[in-house]
Amino acid sequence: MIPPNHSPSPHAVDRRFFLRSALAALVLPRLEAHGATVSETPGARNFVAIGTYLGWHQNAFFPKETGLNYSMPQTLTPLSAARDSFTIFSGLDHRAPNGHDAWSNFLSGVTPRRYSLDQQIADEIGQNSRFASIEMTAGSGEEVRAMSYTRKGVGLPMIQRPSVLYRQLFRSEADLARTEYLLRSGRSGLDLVLEDAKRLRSAVPSADSHKLEEYFDSFRTLEKRMARQLNGINNPIPTTSYKLPTYDPITPNLQIEAETILYHLMTLALETESTRVMSLQLDGLGQVFSFEGKALGSGYHGLSHHGNDPQMIRDLVSIETAHMHCFAGFLKELQEKKTARGKSLLDETIVLLGSGTGDASRHSNRNIPTLVAGGGFQHGRHLAIDQNEVNAPLLGDLYLTLMQRLGMQVGHFSNASRNLNHLFA
Amino acid sequence: MDSLFFWRWLAILMGLVMAPTQANGATPIPEALQRTLAAKCLDCHDATEKKGDVNLEQTAIDWSDPTQQELWLRAFASIDQGLMPPPKKKQPSEEERKALLAYLEASLLKQIPFGSTPPRRLNQREYTATVRSLFHLSSFVLPPGFPNDGESHGFDNLSEGLALSPGHLEAYRAVATEIADELFPVKKSVAEKKIWKAGPEDMVLSFAAATVHGDALRLVSRSVDVFRSCSWPSRIEVKESGTYRVEVDASKFVSGVGNPFEKPMILEVRARDLAASDRSKVTSFRLLKEISVSSDASEKSVFEADLYEGETLVFRWANAEMTHEFGELSELYRDWFQKDPRFLAAWQKAIFSAGDLRPHLTTLRGRNGWELVSKLWADPGLDLREATMDSKPTLKILEIANSISGTTSIADALCHFYHERGPALELHHLKLEGPLQSVESPRDLARTKARVALTGLQKEGQSSEVFGEDVLRRLLPKAFRRDVQEETIRVYVTLLKDHLKDGHSFDEAMHLVVRNILISPRFLYHQVEGARGDAYNLANRLSYFLTQGPPDAKLTELARSQMLPNGSRLRGEAQRLMPKKFTEPMIQSFVGQWLRTRKLSSIMPDPRFAFDDSSISMARHETERFFAEMLTLNLPMTDFIDPDFTFSSREFMTRIYGAPKEGEATKDAAYPKKPKTEFQKISMDRGGRYGGLLGQSAILMATANGVDTQPVVRGVWVLENILGMPSPPPPKNVPALTPDTQGSVSPRALLAAHTKDTACAVCHQRIDPIGLALENYDPVGRWRTLWPGTKIAIDSSCVLADGTAIKDPRDSKAWLVRNIDRFSQCVGEKLLTYATGRVLNFTEKREIRSIVLANHAKGNGFRDLVLDLVESETFRSQ
Repeated sequence: MIPPNHSPSPHAVDRRFFLRSALAALVLPRLEAHGATVSETPGARNFVAIGTYLGWHQNAFFPKETGLNYSMPQTLTPLSAARDSFTIFSGLDHRAPNGHDAWSNFLSGVTPRRYSLDQQIADEIGQNSRFASIEMTAGSGEEVRAMSYTRKGVGLPMIQRPSVLYRQLFRSEADLARTEYLLRSGRSGLDLVLEDAKRLRSAVPSADSHKLEEYFDSFRTLEKRMARQLNGINNPIPTTSYKLPTYDPITPNLQIEAETILYHLMTLALETESTRVMSLQLDGLGQVFSFEGKALGSGYHGLSHHGNDPQMIRDLVSIETAHMHCFAGFLKELQEKKTARGKSLLDETIVLLGSGTGDASRHSNRNIPTLVAGGGFQHGRHLAIDQNEVNAPLLGDLYLTLMQRLGMQVGHFSNASRNLNHLFA
Repeated sequence: MDSLFFWRWLAILMGLVMAPTQANGATPIPEALQRTLAAKCLDCHDATEKKGDVNLEQTAIDWSDPTQQELWLRAFASIDQGLMPPPKKKQPSEEERKALLAYLEASLLKQIPFGSTPPRRLNQREYTATVRSLFHLSSFVLPPGFPNDGESHGFDNLSEGLALSPGHLEAYRAVATEIADELFPVKKSVAEKKIWKAGPEDMVLSFAAATVHGDALRLVSRSVDVFRSCSWPSRIEVKESGTYRVEVDASKFVSGVGNPFEKPMILEVRARDLAASDRSKVTSFRLLKEISVSSDASEKSVFEADLYEGETLVFRWANAEMTHEFGELSELYRDWFQKDPRFLAAWQKAIFSAGDLRPHLTTLRGRNGWELVSKLWADPGLDLREATMDSKPTLKILEIANSISGTTSIADALCHFYHERGPALELHHLKLEGPLQSVESPRDLARTKARVALTGLQKEGQSSEVFGEDVLRRLLPKAFRRDVQEETIRVYVTLLKDHLKDGHSFDEAMHLVVRNILISPRFLYHQVEGARGDAYNLANRLSYFLTQGPPDAKLTELARSQMLPNGSRLRGEAQRLMPKKFTEPMIQSFVGQWLRTRKLSSIMPDPRFAFDDSSISMARHETERFFAEMLTLNLPMTDFIDPDFTFSSREFMTRIYGAPKEGEATKDAAYPKKPKTEFQKISMDRGGRYGGLLGQSAILMATANGVDTQPVVRGVWVLENILGMPSPPPPKNVPALTPDTQGSVSPRALLAAHTKDTACAVCHQRIDPIGLALENYDPVGRWRTLWPGTKIAIDSSCVLADGTAIKDPRDSKAWLVRNIDRFSQCVGEKLLTYATGRVLNFTEKREIRSIVLANHAKGNGFRDLVLDLVESETFRSQ
């Protein structure tokens, strides 16, 4: 008996069915690069987006002063040492309506669940990497809330288990042998399937033959792709001495632990040039965190509805500060790694940190806390945008600046068609 | 006769003689009809004016020119629907109109043959159902991130919308590997025995379910929601299904200040998927053991239990005093309030912090809430004046505790009261050891079963080659859903044998073959072979239409023996496969798309409507159950519009539909003694304001956005899905006119702009009145009489295109009942579009028309209509 189609969300998965699979999620193929051309010598080479489901408490994220000499706001204190490597933005958002649904606006712009920033970048600059992009989540204990969306608006599944990401990045001999076997045997079958399929051509009326030709066109692309994968299979797979814990920290209460490990793996992925585009979603549920042996007064989600209660805000900010500790560690690692071009990995990587939510307590999507690190920009400032000004810039305008820094010649993102190059370069 | 007309007449007469098109096969228009056209149409649609790009100044029609066919199809539809000539212009006499329509219909029917559906791939639902059926994998689902199906003409199964891109084929290949892995898994290495230990600090603290006190983890609630009552070790996840040895140290915590607890405490130990949703009910996890804890000192319990791959243990105190279930929660509060007026006063002060009777619950979550209450409780200056059981604040608190907001806000604060003072159940230490021996998980058993069902058993002495070929000869006709040519069988047999020859095992060879079968167009597409009238194609069409899955054994046999195309057989099979319950896939899918009930899960009604998830599913199921009833009982088509029953709960009827009301009272006898939140069939009088498709909450919701109503959206929806007259999209350069119903100007006044601008008027004269006529229904389907945020009474009166004056939605219903064939035509077209996967042409729509009229004459039953449609040439035409 097939159960009725009651699925509350397109991302709710029968976890059991795909439990066995090492990859746990379908790694989607890439479309060929399109439209915009990519510069040969871009200002930055990699892109990383990090978003919290529950936003960031604005008063503890935005500095009181603007410009260079701001005093470090509470949530950002872990970043003090890296002060010159990032810029804080206030007053930016997508002008999206308020409400829960707007979470996915973060990388999608004014309309939820549209072709997201990271995927637009991956489709342009990710094509020649082992992984065009990698999507991850920490702390997600229930139905997955996608943050990245394909051109067609399909929410991409996120890797939750560090062990799965690890296996993808640093394949063992056994995994490699299995992959090679599947590719080789699969390819040997293709000729036979194709030969048999071609007999169908005569059965389909010529007026409708274009529908069947879609199949044959796709088939040829698939063949080429498998051939390319086989050719690449003997390329050296990076190795690492990094050791994972024996368990996967996937329950929501182990979110901070999961984040720490994922950041390490993200650095390794960039360092080994396994990918150039990554996104990490930081979910927020009812998990009660304990810091320094003391449990907080309420779950993460409960605290986000603080109703301006000072105790609850204090606890909420302590969680956000913990996220920021992990983030500071990531920036430090990127800063320390040197690339083949003699720059730091951070200089070559744009790191965007933000959310789709402006203020979770009020479900407001205005004035989204946003921070950009690395990417070779002139940093160290708090750039305050006055939303009340006529034609005030949008968050999408900042995204256009980021894409252009990656060498993409683009002029539009969602509802934005300018850039922030005059303020941020 | 004015002179202009004379000249035009002359021009036509000359055209008749001189028309150059006539020589190359154009069919002349009979003179009488030319006169009608000239008199009633050419004022606007002559060669010079050609209003709306329509030029009817012709003496003959060149049917070989597709643009001509298109032109006369439009002309036919406009005249037939009474849109042309416009009301203010000269009208043809009834005879003239009939003659013109009859001529055009006959000509068009002659020109346009029954259609055929281009190859189309299985959509996501069909693919899933096909894999489940073919491989006996009943829990198969597509992985997240699988590419979407395109929608076309409101359905996700039309050839037009179902493109196949390289991305799709790659995704199909990846899923094929998953399926092959499931049937022919790679052998795993033997697991090593392992020991895990966990203390309180390794346990999950979720909401207020658990707290840590030194070496003890306390549990206090018996809520069935895992995240409100349970705790589990987050770093334990067994990798191998097997028998494990469990050691748990637990004790009772009963302090002098809390209530006593004499009975033994029951500690439930269950198995949970570590990755399962924390929003699960505890009962969805397998019970392993109930431990009786009767001592204040820690005692060790040891037992053995089976755990499956991916699982961990989860703990709950099953007979706790504290619970979150709101009926019991308010009783708990009542007890404590009666015992201690100071306790009561403290809660009053915390909840009504502003000093009036408006509750402030946001900051009362969890321990923060309890700390606040606790501080007030200890305050010697506490105001006790209202601390009586019958005071207003007390009753209000009990009311909150008896509602969902009690569970989500103040209950967690009360949990912390129990955490602090007991009674609570304490866990101290946990040890897990194993696997002592491996066991097959239910999933492993299902896999084995699926595999045996697929291959059968290898006979004694049978070689892998012979066995494999035997399996394939049985599998391929099922996979490709028809008889398979020998040359195609050879392809797959060769693949199998070559792989065996290369030294691979039988399982590996089958794995490879399955992967390749699943990317063949013979599997992925519907009906890519078979001549016109092919019995297998007919069987497939019938089966996917009515069950969404591949044909079963009986239907396949009828196709094989060529008996199916025979009218009575086809009808009989349609009877057999017709959905019987509202949960069946056909109803879920067809109703979900036609009436958009599928959309409901993504609409978040504004909080002011108090329309929660259970209301949404109530609304959705009402429409689905209603449709199922119409189908199974063969009820007359008019019942779709104005029925004497619906499916709902008494609670929903009262809250949303405001029933019963005088004059349209729900018959009391029809309310059997069912719990008031439970579904039941409810009888009611006809002619009322609720009931029927246009009065159902689900549809009124799906045509709004959860916040406000847009008459244009509802108007367009009714035209397209009830009357079968889709409106063209608005011109691109026109900004959307969405009235702000929050303002003081009524939507009606705003929409008037539509009908002033002539570019808009053509369509909006049809659309807006219908939408406005539904303005009495708010975004969730409740009846209203004022426009929101105003004191302006809703005026839903309008004049329909045919001149009928409508006062309110009840008149619209009456009009539809009088014109029921239009609705039946629309439903017929939707059903056959969905069934055939193609957009229907003129000839097919005319066939539906004759079926609708014939059905009307014999009782107008809905089931009869569906069966007649299945027997139609349109359905059979591939």
